[in-house]
Amino acid sequence: MESLDEVIDAMIADRVIHRHRRIWLLVIALVVVASLVVLATGGWKKKVGRTVPTLTAPATVTAGRFEYSLTKAEIVRKPKTEYDAAEANLVVYFDAKNIDSEEHTSSRVDGEMFLFVPGHGEDNVESEGASCHGDKIGWQLVYGLPPESCSVKFKVGPNFTADVVEIGVLEEHYESDNSSLGASDKPYWHNESAAAVVRLAPKVVVDGGSK
Amino acid sequence: MKLYRPATILVGILFVLLGGLTRLATPEHVYDQQNIKVEHGTIGQALDFTGSGSTVKVTRIKFARTVLDSSAGDDDKPIDTNGIYVAIEWDTVRGDRKPDSIEPTLTADGGSVYEPAEGLNNSNLDFPNAGYARAGTIVFEVNPTDMKNLTLRLRSMMLFNVYNSEIQVDLGIPTEAIAQQMADTAAPQYIVESSVTRVAS
Repeated sequence: MESLDEVIDAMIADRVIHRHRRIWLLVIALVVVASLVVLATGGWKKKVGRTVPTLTAPATVTAGRFEYSLTKAEIVRKPKTEYDAAEANLVVYFDAKNIDSEEHTSSRVDGEMFLFVPGHGEDNVESEGASCHGDKIGWQLVYGLPPESCSVKFKVGPNFTADVVEIGVLEEHYESDNSSLGASDKPYWHNESAAAVVRLAPKVVVDGGSK
Repeated sequence: MKLYRPATILVGILFVLLGGLTRLATPEHVYDQQNIKVEHGTIGQALDFTGSGSTVKVTRIKFARTVLDSSAGDDDKPIDTNGIYVAIEWDTVRGDRKPDSIEPTLTADGGSVYEPAEGLNNSNLDFPNAGYARAGTIVFEVNPTDMKNLTLRLRSMMLFNVYNSEIQVDLGIPTEAIAQQMADTAAPQYIVESSVTRVAS
């Protein structure tokens, strides 16, 4: 049998819960609406533009271990053959010099240090690899010797055409890992970041190839 | 319930001490001096590799302005350089224990570290099967202005902190003048022969 006290308590609780219900519902609705508005207007994060310089070829970029002088770009088209579909590559030519004054070590130009930036919200295109010294893959550039001519290749659609292409150049930094986490505090080349973007006007070249 | 019993505190202190101990054994110490045995030698000396019974000997070095694989076809042009090529002819004998694979580099007094040249199929340095010996060539592209005390370093790729050794071969260029003379009298072309395996006598 319920006592009168319990009944009164229940009544009071009921009142307290229902007293501000409308306000609570309104606040929740407002939060939902606000988040929808933020999402619709492009997210909370502030959009920052390009933070590295944009250069126009011929341009020299000092990026970590190397100094690159980007000279020209070509869109190499391979027409359709009996066996292969038509394809096209964007080839960027540059001179690379090993300027590794920290380690003085021979090293190869890494194709991953170059990105093709198509713009218009499209994803950056990673390269198919770089080659130097007469198109040799993995050629070791010796510190202290004059620049070598190199090229880097990007796969593009068979009908790709552009007046100007933008190539992003990444640079490595000579630094150590965080030694307080137990890693060695010896510095080495890593931690890529953007160094510059270079604009080049590509020429269209048709690669007849051998049949 | 007591939160900090003496045993809890002891375990905490133990972890702190363990952390300190691992800091003492950072790779820096391991890689550079402490448990590496350095085997010095010169051209013509057979040097013991990692105590495995295997030996490495540099038989001859040649300087050249261009290099070409002996297996190259008629269309292949000799590979030229802005610097100079150093071809190191070697002779390895394999012991009964399998030696680790080697990372060869050249170092000079100026601080340069040279890696083996790419694009030559015959340029390498390795060991044959047990009971055999092998002779071959490894080619480096070097900067002629930094060749004083050119030294071939052979270091095995270490994954763990095990006792290991490094071979250092003095290539006999003690002064700048000798280096200059070597560069001036370099052969116009060097043909890189493929390595030859024979029975170890």
